[in-house]
Amino acid sequence: MLTDTLEDTPVTSGMQTDLPVIHIGMATCGLASGARGLLELIKKEVEKRQLNVQIIPTGCIGMCHNEPLVDVTMPGKYRVSYKNVKPMTLTQIFEAHFGKKDFAKKYAVCQIPLPGSEPYEGLALMSDLPFFKGQVKIVTRRCGMIDPLSIDDYMAMDGYKALKKALTSMTPEEVVEQVTKSGLRGRGGGGFPTGLKWSLTQKSPGPEKYVVCNADEGDPGAFMDRSVLEGDPHAVIEGMIIAAYAVGGAKKGYIYCRAEYPLAIRHLRKAIEDARSHNFLGEKILGTDLSFDLEIKEGAGAYVCGEETALLASIMGERGMPWPKPPFPAQKGVWGKPSVINNVETLGNIGHIILNGGDWYASYGSEKTKGTKTFALTGSIKNSGLIEVPAGTPLREIIFSIGGGMVEKKIPFKAAQLGGPSGGCIPSDGLDTPVDFENVVAAGAIMGSGGIVVMDEAACIVDTAKFFLKFTQDESCGECTPCRVGSKIMLDILTRITEGKGQEGDLDELVRLSMYVKSNSLCGLGGAAPNPVLSTIRYFREEYEAHIRDKRCPGTVCNDLIKYVVIEEDCTTCGLCEPVCPSGSVTWEKGEVAHIDLTTCIRCKACVDACKFRAII
Amino acid sequence: MADVKHAEVTYEDIEEICEEFSNREGAVVQILQKVQEKYGYVPADALEFVGEVLEIPKSKMYGVLTFYSQFYQEPRGKFVLKVCVGTACHVRGAGLLVDKIKEELHIEPGENTEDMLFTLEPVACLGSCALAPMAMVQGTAYGKLSADKMVSLIRQFEEEAEKEEEPV
Repeated sequence: MLTDTLEDTPVTSGMQTDLPVIHIGMATCGLASGARGLLELIKKEVEKRQLNVQIIPTGCIGMCHNEPLVDVTMPGKYRVSYKNVKPMTLTQIFEAHFGKKDFAKKYAVCQIPLPGSEPYEGLALMSDLPFFKGQVKIVTRRCGMIDPLSIDDYMAMDGYKALKKALTSMTPEEVVEQVTKSGLRGRGGGGFPTGLKWSLTQKSPGPEKYVVCNADEGDPGAFMDRSVLEGDPHAVIEGMIIAAYAVGGAKKGYIYCRAEYPLAIRHLRKAIEDARSHNFLGEKILGTDLSFDLEIKEGAGAYVCGEETALLASIMGERGMPWPKPPFPAQKGVWGKPSVINNVETLGNIGHIILNGGDWYASYGSEKTKGTKTFALTGSIKNSGLIEVPAGTPLREIIFSIGGGMVEKKIPFKAAQLGGPSGGCIPSDGLDTPVDFENVVAAGAIMGSGGIVVMDEAACIVDTAKFFLKFTQDESCGECTPCRVGSKIMLDILTRITEGKGQEGDLDELVRLSMYVKSNSLCGLGGAAPNPVLSTIRYFREEYEAHIRDKRCPGTVCNDLIKYVVIEEDCTTCGLCEPVCPSGSVTWEKGEVAHIDLTTCIRCKACVDACKFRAII
Repeated sequence: MADVKHAEVTYEDIEEICEEFSNREGAVVQILQKVQEKYGYVPADALEFVGEVLEIPKSKMYGVLTFYSQFYQEPRGKFVLKVCVGTACHVRGAGLLVDKIKEELHIEPGENTEDMLFTLEPVACLGSCALAPMAMVQGTAYGKLSADKMVSLIRQFEEEAEKEEEPV
């Protein structure tokens, strides 16, 4: 028999069943690694062996670098996780579990304890892996563990218990009090105390109020919200219903999700439907006076819509341009009515806070930033993926313990970019910075929504700054002049520098313009746009100067400044570089050292990649 | 770029789309998304009709349309190659993917091939940074790409299209 929770079978919970269970990670990262094909193969294998098992697609557990991930749980035993599963290994995994009643040692990465079950011998526990050891999972607790499309799975892991608790045993004031006590601050990057936001909206007069979820995760290099929406959509919905109750009975909520996340939107749709059929949404929720429903608004590609007032304008069908605050959304939001706007991760925390109490949440984290924070670890790092750590965890621990260090052992760490286009770079001197709202700002970046892009010595700092500025410049809505024109002039200067046409005084001019754009822009986009430039000039001034004075790019990234040469001592005269050159610039004769003609070279790097002896630099 | 055939749009078609939405004024973006879903882009006539149905001035409709990068005023290829150029992909060589597509298909970003099979569209972060560089085509994500893999993907799509055209 084959059961597939996607279509037909109601599952109580994948973790409490008498049948063997196969979980497969099918979030966007899993799918991009070939999980869909793998699922078909698993189904075939199950049919071939005539097995009675449950196959459950799950969200992302965070180990994106190990995708596709397949977990096998035999009745009475711990759940075994397999990484980088290929069609070839699948047979061996099946053979081990269903033939030899063991696990496939060669491919297993860890085992996950289940209540009342026995461990396997000779396999590390998930919590002992360096990647998970420093992590504390609150908002991502269910991601990758449950079937995100199954409301029963969600409820089996405490889902909607917080809603019941809030609606039946707490007043709206008490709910706000717990959230205030928890110290939770806006996880989208703003860091505004959530409790205060709720209480302001609660106190705003008028019967008509709105709850808005900001799921317009636009920062390049960030995918925390995508993972939560894909892996645990009900958690966000539950948080929104509790918010609706807390602000004094909002009737309608919007989830504004960017269109680049089709899977997240699909999961949200299904979750909303299921929540309705269980009366968690709709009229008289759980028999109380609260009536609340949700609508998904898909974004249409505008980064500035992550800024709350622009997002509200977009919800109302306008151009997504921000408006000056005040009035704050808590006073005048959607359709001019009081509205509370929270980010996905913020809302995902609410259920846990209500269930376990504000004090419990506040026991994690640093002095001013309570609780945990999720981060998307990417770039030149070994264990790229999604992590959740207590706020205040040092950057070094995040990158080197959890992240496993650099992907290429020989190329050392250069900088970590935190906070995307509004953030900045932290160099190796700053690795001991505790990552929370205040300390990261002091180090010249921002914690932001949680993107951490790790760069090694082969990256170019000037190019990175230019990349971010080009992004914000593209996305500037054009409403205010400092952002629209200022960012353009700054980008022109940076472009010139990367083309080898930098001049003395450029850096001072960049700093001067940065200060101007920062202090005079209308919204957060412009106000933070110069951050990547300022922080890199602060820490990597020499690298800018190398570009400007020596016309040299130390990271060999800026094409116009690259001069490929063959190192005679290292060249083995093998000739591999010659045929790969598309412009015919590499000349080589048998037994002779190759030569590159720089006048025709198009800097495609094909010869560098072809050389096995690193003789071309 | 070749001359392309524009879609034929009637007022009734648009009226039908608009009727799905109860709060019409706030639904402008959603209505335009539906229009684009139907025609593959937002034809000029359609924009005008939506404005008429909703009683919103043409200027405002145009303002909304041009504000969002995911609305297109021209028809697009069958396979839209959405190449992620977010930070992580940028660091890992997304630029090379874009260059390869330009070279292979002779199109610039935003353009269609003459046979209307492909459109090149560099997009900001698709949120699968751990698999950088990546691209999305017809809703399917492709991770850990290289210039060579990109070319074989293109070939794969070409074959797919050819198969579809063959009479059964």
